[in-house]
Parts: sequence; structure tokens; C-alpha cells
Amino acid sequence: RSPKKKKGATKDMDDLKKEVPIVSKRFLFFLRIGLTNAKAAEFLLRDGPNALTPPPTTPEWVKFCRQLFGGFSILLWTGAILCFLAYAIQAATEDEPAGDNLYLGIVLTAVVVITGCFSYFQEAKSSKIMESFKNMVPQQALVIREGEKVQINAEEVVAGDLIEVKGGDRIPADIRVTSAHGCKVDNSSLTGESEPQSRSPDCTHDNPLETRNVAFFSTNCVEGTARGIVICTGDRTVMGRIATLTSGLETGKTPIAREIEHFIHIITGVAVFLGVTFFILAIILGYTWLEAVIFLIGIIVANVPEGLLATVTVCLTLTAKRMAKKNCLVKNLEAVETLGSTSTICSDKTGTLTQNRMTVAHMWFDNQIHEADTTEDQSGAAFDKSSVTWLSLSRVAALCNRAQFKAGQDSVSILKRDVAGDASESALLKCIELSCGSVRMMRDKNKKVAEIPFNSTNKYQLSVHETEDPNDNRYLLVMKGAPERILDRCSTIMLQGKEQPMDEEMKEAFQNAYMELGGLGERVLGFCHVLLPEDQYPKGFAFDTDDVNFQTDNLCFVGLISMIDPPRAAVPDAVGKCRSAGIKVIMVTGDHPITAKAIAKGVGIISEGNETVEDIAARLNIPVSQVNPRDAKACVIHGSDLKDLSQDQMDDILRNHTEIVFARTSPQQKLIIVEGCQRLGAIVAVTGDGVNDSPALKKADIGVAMGISGSDVSKQAADMILLDDNFASIVTGVEEGRLIFDNLKKSIAYTLTSNIPEITPFLFFIIVNIPLPLGTITILCIDLGTDMVPAISLAYEAAESDIMKRQPRNPARDKLVNERLISIAYGQIGMIQALGGFFAYFVILAENGFLPSQLVGIRLNWDDRSLNDLEDSYGQQWTYEQRKIVEFTCHTAFFVSIVVVQWADLIICKTRRNSVFQQGMKNKILIFGLFEETALAAFLSYCPGMDVALRMYPLKPTWWFCAFPYSFLIFVYDEARKLILRRNPGGWVEKETYY
Amino acid sequence: MSGSKEDDRKGSSEWRDFFWNPRTHELLGRTAASWGLILLFYLIFYLCLAGMFAFTMYILLLTLDDYKPTWQDRLATPGMMIRPKGNQLEITFSTSDTESWDGFIHNLNSFLSPYNDSYQVQTNDECTPDEYFIQEDSGEVRNNPKRSCQFNRTMLEECSGVLDRFYGYDKGQPCILIKLNRVIGMLPGKERQSPYVTCAAKREDSDKIGPLAYYPPNGTFNLMYYPYYGKKAQVNYTQPLVAVKFLNASLNTDINVECKVTSNTLAAGSDRDKFAGRVSFKLRINDK
Repeated sequence: RSPKKKKGATKDMDDLKKEVPIVSKRFLFFLRIGLTNAKAAEFLLRDGPNALTPPPTTPEWVKFCRQLFGGFSILLWTGAILCFLAYAIQAATEDEPAGDNLYLGIVLTAVVVITGCFSYFQEAKSSKIMESFKNMVPQQALVIREGEKVQINAEEVVAGDLIEVKGGDRIPADIRVTSAHGCKVDNSSLTGESEPQSRSPDCTHDNPLETRNVAFFSTNCVEGTARGIVICTGDRTVMGRIATLTSGLETGKTPIAREIEHFIHIITGVAVFLGVTFFILAIILGYTWLEAVIFLIGIIVANVPEGLLATVTVCLTLTAKRMAKKNCLVKNLEAVETLGSTSTICSDKTGTLTQNRMTVAHMWFDNQIHEADTTEDQSGAAFDKSSVTWLSLSRVAALCNRAQFKAGQDSVSILKRDVAGDASESALLKCIELSCGSVRMMRDKNKKVAEIPFNSTNKYQLSVHETEDPNDNRYLLVMKGAPERILDRCSTIMLQGKEQPMDEEMKEAFQNAYMELGGLGERVLGFCHVLLPEDQYPKGFAFDTDDVNFQTDNLCFVGLISMIDPPRAAVPDAVGKCRSAGIKVIMVTGDHPITAKAIAKGVGIISEGNETVEDIAARLNIPVSQVNPRDAKACVIHGSDLKDLSQDQMDDILRNHTEIVFARTSPQQKLIIVEGCQRLGAIVAVTGDGVNDSPALKKADIGVAMGISGSDVSKQAADMILLDDNFASIVTGVEEGRLIFDNLKKSIAYTLTSNIPEITPFLFFIIVNIPLPLGTITILCIDLGTDMVPAISLAYEAAESDIMKRQPRNPARDKLVNERLISIAYGQIGMIQALGGFFAYFVILAENGFLPSQLVGIRLNWDDRSLNDLEDSYGQQWTYEQRKIVEFTCHTAFFVSIVVVQWADLIICKTRRNSVFQQGMKNKILIFGLFEETALAAFLSYCPGMDVALRMYPLKPTWWFCAFPYSFLIFVYDEARKLILRRNPGGWVEKETYY
Repeated sequence: MSGSKEDDRKGSSEWRDFFWNPRTHELLGRTAASWGLILLFYLIFYLCLAGMFAFTMYILLLTLDDYKPTWQDRLATPGMMIRPKGNQLEITFSTSDTESWDGFIHNLNSFLSPYNDSYQVQTNDECTPDEYFIQEDSGEVRNNPKRSCQFNRTMLEECSGVLDRFYGYDKGQPCILIKLNRVIGMLPGKERQSPYVTCAAKREDSDKIGPLAYYPPNGTFNLMYYPYYGKKAQVNYTQPLVAVKFLNASLNTDINVECKVTSNTLAAGSDRDKFAGRVSFKLRINDK
């Protein structure tokens, strides 16, 4: 078949296998020559460069607009537009329209634009960090064109190209292997399998993902060399298709976005209700409809908490920063909270739960299992290294080993050094280096004479060495391999340094050890050696490794060494925390079920004492089918079983098992698992590093990509990136996320409360015709001035109780803003605050001569510019300007009073259940906030020039104290409420007031 | 499609259930008992708040003096005002059109009725001119009611409305009354110098204003009318007036007039307040 045909642009996976029997003369010729340059150029022109089309990035201006018009901003925009509308009405009907509405409109617009810019830059900053992850070095590929090997840019590779790859290369396109020499590829980024897979020209499987003769784009060639024909490039590769699948997935709104939407509904509801009520009232009271419309708009606008958008953004940003310090990089601000609402985490095994490096875990020698230290920092217990058998075992492991440290790493600790060689051999190398010193010296002393590398038919590897003793001319043959194969070749066994015949008893002991280690999910290797008799193999004997001309049986068995990719140290703790936090941890891995289960048990995903169906069956000695699946809390599900499950069965499994491990899963199945969890109402976090994970990452409520091992595609699809690839970091992220949700509630409760003392003055102004007690400018001073820092400081508040000991938030019931919060903030605390403000207002007017009794109904005269001899309660006469100064002094006093009552509000908002005395005043930012708002209020009142700039006037010192009793009342009232709430859990007070 | 429709129906029935749920007898998500309890709570809560507020207001009223407000610093410069007070302080009329100034005449008549000589003689004292009429309280004992000095309407002479029923409006020589706002305890002059009023046109109108006549002579507010003791202590206080008569103002043109009080104790008002220690108004006399 001509290679031309093979690059049908839309190739189905199934087609791949049809191309396996490629035998033709022309083809054989092609295998030497490759494409001509002209053909290659033609194909390049037709297919485009061999690169993944980057996901359609949203243009910057769209992102900016999204920040500007998304979610909360809409409310403020509506407010601003209403303001301009009101001003327009006033301007059209009045000669000298009051500028209040115009200013308010401008300020609202400014607030939205500024916070929009702020969050936009915040996001731009995280995406910049993202870009830094991208590997900017252009990749090279070795192609054969016109019979010559040329190094070209990987982007220029076209379908049909003949390509050569060797160990350490990244495979530049999907390749059909035509010849291979010990080639192994690491498919983990595609399939999740951590084991390198060997590649050969034979078609071994119908599934192109499983067959041996296809190597995939962007996977790595670990060792060996291979030559192959490019069958797909760019987006048509398997990797490219997964990437395209990902960008096609739509993700839902983040939980916090839903909460904010709900919050806007409530606020809008309250605002419209109040506005319409007072519109009707104003009409009844005899105002003109125009005035009534302006009142309506005014009330709606006054209900918009101008500062809240900024507060929420800043709170989320602060948390995002705090999370970044703990190695969780959040791409999207809203994702900060999502992590906190997470109820299920689907975690990868390799690299996330485990250290992603094979490590020697156990050894069996002297008929005893010894445990090696697998911790990252070598803090675990060491085993007895004095046995002679161990010396032999370590010698075999060191010599029969092709791995070696890469040069120039002497200063690096042994465990962190880079090793050239396969994972198991590196594990052995490090283990020996750690316990017996330099392997290089050992190898130098025992020169290698011959070697047979590992292959899958022999299942062993052997090498022949000179001995350390220069006087001893015997050769040492060392061998390692699959334990049963090794055992077959042994006639003796070394016990306490002495060779003893291998009897049945020993064989059984071997079997038991092998089973035990295998049951731990570990990869077990057997080791044996023999000193070749000098008479048969004298010095200088020519060992022929192809046609084995020396003894390879009747060897002496030394021991077993088993390896595992050990769990990270912090993971079991983190999983435990998740469990107590009510978060279900599901392990999803491409690995073998036994290994997966062993690790799951090791990190506590399957907790001690919990059994799977298979375990119960084994314990009771009954067939699996007789076990009631409900009895087993844990389960390990094989990917091939998962394929056959119906949706209901899937739901059933997810619902009834608390501890689930999915092994041998494919990328699509990961997506199915995520969807299943979401169907059950869970908020799902998914971790993943490979390209294969990206659809699941995208689909999940929060996708967590790995910063170190993760592929670019997965990072792009994720909402969050773990910079240290550590599962434990997710848990700290969850903690921060939950904390910010609680603290946002407090912050919103604090901010909303001052809405009531801001709006009631206007209502009384309309209904009872008193001089306006609080003006627009002072409202803005509160919302955007004094309230800001305290509201933000609540984001720093410590948790009231252990937030990791309670269940995850139920998004259906546990809202950010609920009617109880509104009831407390608006109905109770806000009302007390309003009274405090009104009291200050009446004090100032009364002390200046206008007694409360005279104020009702005075508005028309009061606001009449041409009336300059308005009589007060004492018979004195006031000009317009004089009484307006008093009125503005009242505004200032009302403003100061709100600050004073907000002190108490801030302190009570610190806690939702505990007393302040239990919580303490450790939040330094909050204390700073208290002083800051007071200082700002004093500044606004006393700074010279404020009378002209903001129409705020200096207050007599006594006027500061007017609201003190109310501030005190707020504190006492709320402490009492919380006391009842604590004393009487689940009682009426909790049901009505616990927000 | 069908799914979303179903959802819609579900959504609307949820709303209906929320409004009135016949199964649980819940109105807006609460049962009658629940509503009752929460309303009762708020009723009691607000009653307590009202009580608290009333209490603090009561304390406030206890601290107030009946005769003098706590603070008067905003009244350092007393305001000035004119009568008749036209719309937006504009006095526009035609000499020939009786109806155009009829309102002003009524306004002045009613304003001046308490100044009738007969009434003044009946209620008020004759005082020594150019001296403050001080009636101090002796310690705790209030010297109440305090007496006031007479300001007779006839002191305004041409502008009293007695000699000229129409205050000169029919002849194009209108009278404007000027008064200084009452401020308790204010002492507007020292060394027997009474404050006096001067009126002038604003810059561009200075040639249109013509000669002016002031009544009482020199346009003074005599010191004997001060200090004012407040309406509770000094029930029959009569505010002194100054009348300005425009003798030959230009016709058919707007004249912006500003009248100022000159005193050797009162601070000059701030620029922002156009009516502290001065008063501005617009005069326009048409001949048709």
C-alpha cells in the first residue's frame, strides 16, 4: 500500500490495524528512502503543520467584557443606568437638577469598571503563569527523506514520513512502528499506565491504543530505538482528538457563580419590593408620578451594595494568593470556592497519591521479609544490613543492572538524582547506593564480561563479572528476573550466607513470600548468582550471549526484592482529613487493580477493616456471586467491567460504596465516572496530569492539573494547578475554599447590614417629610469607604470550628446568602443601626433648635431655596444655607453613627455561632479595619475643605457618642442570640437566625 | 427540548408550591404557626427597639434647654429677608396693571398688621433707643415673660402703608421691607452703634437703580430691639424692620439689588451663603 493513501485526514482508530499487513516491494523500498522533499512539502501544505491547534482562546476583549458584565456587575450596571435615567428625568423637568443621581451613576460605573479591571488583571496574571509552563523549545524530529536522515522541526513532520526515534525522544506524531530494537514508550500521559510499554512491529491487539505497533504523538520513548511511518499528524492524532474533545465540552457555572446569582435574585427582590411599595406609597401621599419614579429608582439604587463586588473579588483574590503559597495555583478566581464545596475527589494514582518513582519496598532473604524505607526523606526504619545474604543480594542487584546515575549530580541527594534506565532498575540502583555505598565502585571492581539484557521471552537478565578478589579468577554470574523463572534455574538457596539445597520447604516459603509481596501490589524480582567454576570457565573465556555457551541453571537463589511506587508521605493524612470532611476520595488509575488496591489501602482510600466483595468472598470462602454487594463498603472496579455497566448500575455503585477504586480505566471512562458523580449531585474535583485526563478535568466542577508532571493540555483544561503535584495540597485547598465561603457569608452579612441605615433615611424623607437624614455621598462614603477594609478583613477570619470535620456544603440547601442572613442583617441588626443613625440625626437637629416634633412635614419649606427665614422651635430664623449646613452635619453624624454601629456589627460578624469571647480578637487585619474606618470617618468629618468637597462637616465630640448605646445593643443582642443558638441546637433561634 | 419543557413545568409548579403548598399548608414556605411565630418575634423585637429609641429620645429632650438651643454657631451671621417675598425673590410688576402688584400689597398688609401702632402700644413697651434692652434672669429664677420694645408701623413713614395705601407700587416707587433673622441672644452692635442696611445694585445695574430712601432714617435696626430671648420667653417680640423705597428706578429692565447689613459686631457671612447678612433680589418695574 502506498503511504500516500494512509494519511486520509479523517482516519478512524480502527483503520490503523488494517494497515498492519504492509508488504510490498515498493514499500520496502520506501522504508529505506522515505518521502521525497517535494512530496513532504506537498503534504505539509495540505495537512498543515504537525501541531495541536491551540484551543480556541477567548479573545482578550471578550474576557474583559465577561469581567465587566458578568454576574454581580449586571446589578451595578442596572443601578448605574437607573441613576442616569433618574438624572435625565430630573434634568428634563427641573431647572436646577440635583447632581446626586448623576454622581451616583458615575460612581457605580467607576466601581464596576475598576473591579472589572482588577479581576481581569488578576486572571491575566494567572494565565501568564500558565504560559510559563509551556515548553517553548521547539521540538526536533529525525526523519528520513530521500534516503537521508535529517533533523527537522517536529512541526514539519507530515503523514507518510519515515521517522526514527530513540530513548529519551518525544514521539513527534502517531507512528506505525516498522522496526524496533528494545523500544519502550511511556504512554502514561495518554492512557495513565505508569509502566513503559514495549513497541514492536507486530499487531497485538485490535484496539489501536493497546496494540504494540503504534506509538503515539507526544508520548515519550523511554529506551531503545524504533523506526516507523507517520500515520497521523497534528489534530488528527489520538492526542489531538482528545484535546479537541476537551475543548468541545461545556462546563457549568461554578458554585460560587450560582450563589452570587442567587444572591442577586434576593437583593433585587428586596429592592424591587421596597421600591414598588414606596412608589405606590408616594403616589398615595400625593407626590407627582415623576417624583415617585425618581424615588423608585433611588430606592432600588440605594439597595445595591456598591462595595460588595469589590469585596468579594478581593476576598477571593486573597484566598487565591494564600492557596498559591500552599502550591495550589488557581486559574479562575471563582474556582477558589469550588474546591471548598467539593464533595468528591477523583484522584489519579501515579504522581498524585504516589511519589511517581519506583522504590524498593520489601526484600526477602534469609527466609524473612525485610521492609525497606520508602519514605521520601528516608525517615523510616532501616532493616538489618549485616546479613551476608544481603551483601550478596545487593551485589547481584548492583551488578545485574544497567541503570546509572546521570553525570554531575554528586551534590544532589541520592533519591533525587536523575537516572538513565528503566524504573525498576533505577529503584534498585538507588536502594543499593543508599545502603551499600557507591554502585559505580562496585561495578568497577567487578568488571562486566558479558550480558544478556532482559527480554520478554526469557524474562530474565543476566551478566557475568570478574570477582572483586584479583586472586580469584572465577567469574561471577548474576541474574535477576521474574521470580518463578529465577527459581526454576536455582538448585540452592543462600541462607545466612551459606548455600543450602533448595528443598520443598524452602520453595513453599518462597511461594508464600512471593504471594505476599505480589498481594501488596508490588513488582517482585528474583535474584540469584553463581560463581562459575574456574576449570570450565577459565580467565578469558569467551562468553557468547547470543548462543549461550555457559551455565544458566543450577544457580544459587539469593532473594527477592519488590518495588512499588510508594504513596507520598502526606497523602494518608490528607485522605483521612478528606474523609472526616465528608469528602469521598475515589481513585481512578490506569494501573493494575492489585497495585491500585494496595496503594488505596496504603493511603487510606480503602480504610482499614473495609473489605471489597472479593475480600468477603475470600474470607468466607464463598463465590463472589453469593456476596451481598451491600455488605462491602469498598470496591475495586476494573475498567473492562465499567464498560458494561449501565447508568443505573453505575449510580448504584457510586451511591452504595464509600470507598471506590477504578483500575485500568481509559480516558473516556474517567469522564463517565465524573458524570456519574455529578448526576448524584456531587461537586466533583478531578486530578489528572495526562492528556487523557483533560476531558474529565474540563467536565469536573474543578479540574486539578499537576504542575510538574502535567501535560499542557491538561493544564489548559484545569481550573487549578497543583504546583507540587501533591494530593495533600488539594486538602489545604479544600480547607481554604471552605473557609472563604464561611468568611464571605460573614463579609456579606456585614456589608448588607449597613444597607438598612442607608435606605431608611430616604424612606422617612419620603413618608414623613423630614429633612433628608443621609445623603447619597455619605452612603457612598460608607459603601466604598469605611465598610471596605472591615469587610475584606473578615476574609482573614479564622475558622470557628474545625471546618474539615463537617460535611461538604450542600449546594441545594446551604446558600451563600439565605433568607436568614437577610432577616438578621436587614430585619434586626440593620434596624438597630438605623435607629442609632436617626438618634444622632435628631440630637443634632434638636441641639441646633429644630425639635423632632417640628420636623415632621417640614421638608417642603426646608428645601425651599428662596425661604431664608425658616423659623425653628426656639423662634430663631434660618437661611437656606444655614439649615443645609445643619442638614449636612446630620448626614455626617449619621455616617459617623453608622461607622460606630458597624464596629459592633463587625465584631458580631466575626462569628456565626461562637461567642466573640470564644473566638478572640486575633484577626489583626480586622482590628486594623476598626481603626481604619474610624480614622477615615474622622478624616472625612474634620479635614478642612471637606465641607466644599463632600459637604461633610466637623462634628461636636459629643455627637460621636450618640450611636454608642445602639452599638452596645447590637453587641449584646447578638451575643444573646448566639448564646441561645448554642444552648439550644436545632431550636427556633437556629432555624430562624443561623445563616 | 422536551426535557427543558418538563423542567419549566416543574419550575412553575415549584413556584406555585412555594406560594401556597396545599399539602403542608405552607404560604410562602411557612406554615401559619411559623408565620405567627416570626411575626410575633418581629413585633416584640420592634416594640423593644421602639422603647429603646423612645428612651434615648427622652434622655435627649431632658438635656435640652427650653429657652435656648444648645448650639448657635451656625447662626453667627444672621440671615436677611425681604417682604414682600415674590416668587424666587423676584419683584416684578407693572405700574399700570393693578393686579400685578395687588398680591404684594396684600402680603405687606398682612405682614405689617402686628406692627399697627395700636397693637404695639397695647402689648409692648417703649424703650430707650440705642441701648440693648437686657432682661437677665437672676440665677434660677426666670424673669419671664420678658417684655419687648415697640416697633410702630408708622416708623416706616412712606412705606408704612398708612400714608400710601399702595406702598408706592402704583407710582413705580415700590417699598421693600428688610428684616434681620431672629437669633437668640444676638447683639448686633456695640458702642451704641446700631446696625444699618444699605442697598445697592449689582455692578452692571448700578446706573439703573436710582435714588433710594430708607425708613427708619439711615436704615437702622435699633439696638433696643436686641437681644432676642426666644419665643417662649419673649412672646410678643416684634422684629425691627427697615424699608427701602426705590424712588426712581429704571423701568422695563431687570435690576439686581443686594442689601447688606453693616454692623460692628456681626461677622461677614461666607460667600456660599447668599442670605447671611445680606439679601439679593430682582426688581423689575414695567410701565405697561
